[in-house]
Amino acid sequence: MDKMILNLGPQHPSTHGVLRLQVVLEGEHVVSCEPDIGYLHRGMEKLAEAKSYIQYLPMVDRVDYLSGFFYSYAFCNAVECLNHIEVPQYANYVRVMMMELNRIASHLLWLGTYLLDLGAISPMFYTFRERETILDYFEKITGQRMMYNYFVFGGVRHNILYLDNVIKIVNNILFKINEYENIITDNPIFLSRTKGIGIISKKKALDWAITGPNLRACGILSDYRMNMHIYDDIEFDIVMSNEGDCYSRYIVRIYEMRESAFIIKQCVDWLKSNKKIPEPSQIFLNNFQKGEIYSYVEAPRGLSFCYLNSVGESTPYRLKWRTGSYYSTQLLKELLKGCSLADIMAIYGSLDVVLPEVDR
Amino acid sequence: MLEKIFNLVKALFYGFVTVLWHLFKRPVTEEYPEEKPVLNEYFRGRPFLNSCAGCGYCKRVCPADAIRIIKNERIVEKYIIDLKKCIFCGNCMFYCPSKSMHMSNDFALATNSKSGLQIDIINRR
Repeated sequence: MDKMILNLGPQHPSTHGVLRLQVVLEGEHVVSCEPDIGYLHRGMEKLAEAKSYIQYLPMVDRVDYLSGFFYSYAFCNAVECLNHIEVPQYANYVRVMMMELNRIASHLLWLGTYLLDLGAISPMFYTFRERETILDYFEKITGQRMMYNYFVFGGVRHNILYLDNVIKIVNNILFKINEYENIITDNPIFLSRTKGIGIISKKKALDWAITGPNLRACGILSDYRMNMHIYDDIEFDIVMSNEGDCYSRYIVRIYEMRESAFIIKQCVDWLKSNKKIPEPSQIFLNNFQKGEIYSYVEAPRGLSFCYLNSVGESTPYRLKWRTGSYYSTQLLKELLKGCSLADIMAIYGSLDVVLPEVDR
Repeated sequence: MLEKIFNLVKALFYGFVTVLWHLFKRPVTEEYPEEKPVLNEYFRGRPFLNSCAGCGYCKRVCPADAIRIIKNERIVEKYIIDLKKCIFCGNCMFYCPSKSMHMSNDFALATNSKSGLQIDIINRR
């Protein structure tokens, strides 16, 4: 049979950004696939070399606009460790609470758009409705819905937190997750589109350096929150699944949202029972330490790290981001081989790739 | 086989009931132009400035290079902010030593010309 080359994207509604997949087809089946990235490259790493630390801080949120707090944390943590700035415990708890809320918001967006990729429309409205409550809360606290600029070196911007709102939001979301499961989890159409499709074996996942929920769905215990010092006093379970297919990736993310809600409740309890820190002073760093540092965070799309190299100037000498989506996109080349054309978006969507994060 | 069909029907039934239940609920969408959103004091909209001393800290911390200060000797004549470049990060407000920079709740910034977005925001009473 003749082979046909098909270009999926760059302007494709299911690519969640701008990704071009050059797919070679033999009838309905994919022979090979070549992901072409770089359409959303903004030079985040090079920009850091031209801007001071404080100038660069608002830009960090834009590495991945769906989970800005995580990248903000990674960068702040790197600068704090390098310059020996102590962060009060109160601020650490605020950071954890914000990050977990952000994780829920990110997973909700993934859930809605993934179902949309598979052809279901209603779940998107429901997930966006709940995500809206979280974004409204972020707007109330930080001033903006996506580009927060809330974490600063040495803490958070301010500590007026409306904690009762958080409890309301989280309880509502926990209730609504059951609703999603009613619609989605046992749905025969969803099951036939996702079960046994796009299986990643343990070895393949480790070889291609997949992290985050995608790795946990393959049955490998890996959650970098276990090693992060801000999660030391917080109890949580790590969600895992064994199959490694699209369905198990869905299950992992659904249960992860519940775990995040559980973490947020613990944080709120702690924050309510402890004394507020005074308003954090605006640290205007002038003398930067020399050295290099590596700080990491478990973002919704996998392990993300920030490598910072400073030579004592007011700007970083070199800054490097590692993002989870980049590695998931690489895997497409292997993963799509042999599957049918209709499954491409089901597999690609399940990996939760966000293109700005890939290209950064 | 029968069990399989039963599970299928059960799952579809639950799904349909959940979706149909929403027919009887109030819509959650905002009627934007009629109903204005309620914004908090921390919202970062159009910036405005009271009594600038012209120290230039805001210019130093601005990531987008959107601020231009024109001075006549030591008096600030014009404080021009380019809203085309501005990313509304709020750095100028956070790091202003005299706390004279503020960001209002005004988010409707559309104008008819480019020059309408390069505005002199200093407030002379």
